[in-house]
Amino acid sequence: MYKVLLIGNPNVGKTTLFNKLTYSCEHTGNFHGVTVEDKHKIVKFENKDYDFVDLPGIYSLNCFSFEEEVSRKQILKGDSINLVIADANSLRRNLYLCLQLSEMGQTYKLLINNYDYFVKHGNSLDLKSLNNYFNTAQIIDAKKQKLTKEILTVSKTIVKTPYLQTFLDKLVNKYKLTKQQVLLAFNGENVGLTQQQSDEIKAILPEVVKARYDYIDKILSKCISYNKNFVYGKSKADKLLLNPIIMFVGFLAFFFISIYLIFFLIGPAVSQVLVWLTNFVLINPIMNFLYANVGNVWLIEFFNGGVFNSLTTVLSFLPQVCLLFAFLTILEDSGLISRMAYVFDDFLSIFGLNGKAVYIMLMGLGCNTMSAMASRNMDEKNLKIKTSILNPYISCMARLPIFVLVASALFGAKSYFIVVGLYLLGIAVALILGVILNKTILKNKSRGLLLEFPPLKNIDIKHVGSMIKLNAVDFVKRVFTIILMVGIIVWLLSHTQFNFSYTDDITESILFFFAGKLCFVFAPIGLNNAGILCALIVGILAKELILSIFTISNGVASTSALALTLTASTSLINFTYASAISFLIFALLYSPCISTLAVIKKEAGRFWMWFSLISQLVIAYIISFIVYTALTQGFWLALASVVAISLIVSAIIFMAKKIQHKKCWGCSKCKK
Amino acid sequence: MPLTDVKLNTNCIITEINIKDDKIKLRLMELGMLVGSKLKVTNKSMLKQTLLVIFNSSCFTLKADTAKNILINYV
Repeated sequence: MYKVLLIGNPNVGKTTLFNKLTYSCEHTGNFHGVTVEDKHKIVKFENKDYDFVDLPGIYSLNCFSFEEEVSRKQILKGDSINLVIADANSLRRNLYLCLQLSEMGQTYKLLINNYDYFVKHGNSLDLKSLNNYFNTAQIIDAKKQKLTKEILTVSKTIVKTPYLQTFLDKLVNKYKLTKQQVLLAFNGENVGLTQQQSDEIKAILPEVVKARYDYIDKILSKCISYNKNFVYGKSKADKLLLNPIIMFVGFLAFFFISIYLIFFLIGPAVSQVLVWLTNFVLINPIMNFLYANVGNVWLIEFFNGGVFNSLTTVLSFLPQVCLLFAFLTILEDSGLISRMAYVFDDFLSIFGLNGKAVYIMLMGLGCNTMSAMASRNMDEKNLKIKTSILNPYISCMARLPIFVLVASALFGAKSYFIVVGLYLLGIAVALILGVILNKTILKNKSRGLLLEFPPLKNIDIKHVGSMIKLNAVDFVKRVFTIILMVGIIVWLLSHTQFNFSYTDDITESILFFFAGKLCFVFAPIGLNNAGILCALIVGILAKELILSIFTISNGVASTSALALTLTASTSLINFTYASAISFLIFALLYSPCISTLAVIKKEAGRFWMWFSLISQLVIAYIISFIVYTALTQGFWLALASVVAISLIVSAIIFMAKKIQHKKCWGCSKCKK
Repeated sequence: MPLTDVKLNTNCIITEINIKDDKIKLRLMELGMLVGSKLKVTNKSMLKQTLLVIFNSSCFTLKADTAKNILINYV
């Protein structure tokens, strides 16, 4: 099998090309850092198997961020067909990476993308002259490119790097190093040099960088003609968009209007149509068949309650999920996210984060697991850990159906404000925790924000459609795998007694027995209900399951019926106004789902995974307790609780600071 | 006088780069911010610490943070 690496600077169209060559539908967007891990797809072409690998963007082999390390490792293995995708509009910077690959003895095919935009802005390129240096460079359109023999044909001749000889001679002779050692050191590899050798190479590196650029300028002077006023990424609209007030007000308006349209205006209407269609096409025919041909009540109840009811409850939120991703894709494709990162950078730095956290948090609105993975994009370790453990406080799409359903059932017309309030509470808690972490155990070693601006682009409806499809398929897959599987297990546990006999009465079930034992813990926050506890416990696996459990517990077949039962005191799961608010806050803030925890463990380590799990449970409990106390016992008792809890938190922070100086978590004092 | 890490002349040409953090200094150079190249500050963000600059025909954001890691000064 042949391995084909798609290499290049960020946002040059690698994933777009990967999707076209491999008939895939991976996530693409108009900002840097969309791809943070290598993605593989095997394609058969002319009777040979090709393993295409889409790599995260990389500016240089001297890595600066964690996702660049992923690319570097793959590139230096050196057993692949290398396709270097370069943006015609920033060819000078893109060729820098090409020269580094040549220095390392790698061959590659240079594919120049985004050529139309380049020509449209008064620039021109003589490909023949460029090929005198880069062998088989080719102009492509990543959106239309097909898999051809030509694109996979890589010249065996290594591109010459004559500027390097002087440096090599000097260092090889002076330190008796091999050429390979020096080359590796020039390109960010630790090759066991002494401190003196390392310092000398560091001192020479700026000269090497300059020599590389001088060589690139020499090449480009023969084959490229630039419009002198052309700046890639800059737009006239930026004058307006980069105004902090306009951006801030615009973003809030976009946010509130999106939520209203998604969850209160368009979403519910489309949901009803979807539920009707699912019942008409799938569920009713199967249930009619079962009623007519199967006499076993248990089996009929199993399919009705355990399989179909929980499935339709979660599936009915598919339109909302699609709309949410449509809005996110519009933000990503337009190029606005980088502008937001820039404008909000100063504001976020107050909370120990930087501007890049904007798009990680926006991704969190869709899926916390994906955004925890995107924290790899951060340039500094403490910042990466902080972003990954703060991100689960942002309400993901799986939690929104719970908010909408419970808030609509209990608060009617005011539910919109409840849902928006929950979003803002999640963001506020994340920011406050960010400040505390930044002041104690996760101090930033600031390198500032270094981010390239992509150009503003018109929205491609086709691309928005493909991103909706990608996420909708993912959502439906989750519903038909983990949600269905766990739903069935929970239904069985909630309809089985200890003697393994079937029961209609859920209060006699195994599940109810165990959940009932935990009720006393949750009584102070108004959630001393075994059904609610079952839902919260199972919600740690996946948040969508909470609604499944509600449906199974209350024995209803639709979201509208479920909403009615939530206010009825005769239902197994029911809420008062105070307990509903307490539940919503707890569901917002408590443990991230299991897949997010797995990603936090991978990105930040085992300690931070446990920290994330326990701190979220504690914070969720404390805030629910304060709010529930205020609603049921009055303001003064709640205030007394806040004072008592603040004292305890201050004591913990004080102790954390003490511990920090005994055991190093990365602070400069401990390193000394 | 503030500690100045990147100096520009009146034509916005970089005359000196003295950034202390070696890694960010190297990265900026690799992106094309070299002595002799033209750099233009076009915008400042909310609290005026994050700058929008143009070099190597592209737009970048840079932080003039409290540690004065990158403080671009017009001479």
